[in-house]
Amino acid sequence: MAKAKRVKGEWKRLSVQAAAFLLQNPMLHRFFLGSIETGKTKSVCMPGLNCYSCPAAVGACPIGSLQATLSGGYKKPAFPFYVLGFLLLFGLTLGRWICGWLCPFGWVQDLVYRIPFFKKIRTFPYEKYLRWLKYAVLGVLVIGLPLYSALKGVLTPYFCKLLCPSGTLFGGIPLALTQYGQAVGFFFWWKIGVLLALLLLALLISRPFCRYLCPLGAIYGMFNRISLTHLEFASETCVHCGKCDTVCPMGIDPTKQFNSAECIRCGRCSRACPTDSLAVRFGLHDR
Amino acid sequence: MTRRVRIGILAALAIAGTVFLLYGVFSGQGASVLMKATRICLECIGIG
Repeated sequence: MAKAKRVKGEWKRLSVQAAAFLLQNPMLHRFFLGSIETGKTKSVCMPGLNCYSCPAAVGACPIGSLQATLSGGYKKPAFPFYVLGFLLLFGLTLGRWICGWLCPFGWVQDLVYRIPFFKKIRTFPYEKYLRWLKYAVLGVLVIGLPLYSALKGVLTPYFCKLLCPSGTLFGGIPLALTQYGQAVGFFFWWKIGVLLALLLLALLISRPFCRYLCPLGAIYGMFNRISLTHLEFASETCVHCGKCDTVCPMGIDPTKQFNSAECIRCGRCSRACPTDSLAVRFGLHDR
Repeated sequence: MTRRVRIGILAALAIAGTVFLLYGVFSGQGASVLMKATRICLECIGIG
């Protein structure tokens, strides 16, 4: 059996992820009632991929809201100013730090990856091509098809309907187990299959959904070069030991790709670095 | 990218984000998101 590479202080990040989950989903009793929260806070987009049909959620999913606005929601199709405003402000301040520290499904994948399994894989063959899939998911399932369906007069959030594992785990399963069991059909089982496949993959490789499929990660990744939360690398003190490279959950080399759209600013590399040459910082420092 | 250019891009996008958000609130998109988020989206969870 092979264990995931351990890094000191990792429990702190896991604790922040758990706290972020509870802050975004505090109405835990609703998991047993089979109803969802209906307070006004649900007009506010959460930073991570947190399904608004999760019974405990007190905020809106930015990707669900983006599709709902584009495809018309309860009004006519519109340019999604409101959701883009949130995404711009989240991206500029935190970037993909959100993926590493605040996203509920990222947390689940991190926990699953910690389960010892026969062999951990750092990257798949054709990794760099697979990573482009998330941009295709964003373009086709989040923007293209919902817009097309709106033109046909049907409101379909295709990403949620066909792919989103966070919605299945935190919304679909609890609601099917309580109130909606008799209503499950093909798409429910399809999404259960997608969720199981991703969780099985997460036993082998760190964060497969974030690497290859997450449209929210694709959006936040575009901000990584300018975001206030960033990774700093001091090349003059680096001893090229490669420790940062081996612990990176996204399979990148932090010394060469510290501005990469793939970096989730989790800080594992900086905690593994023996010379403190890498650090996650907030502000307008030089890079 | 120089620090000055990065600050310029950051400031421009932060202003755009704030304006988008406020316009979204006043044009009713926030209310639309609220309406969507407070009803169980059966399609979103794969049931519908």
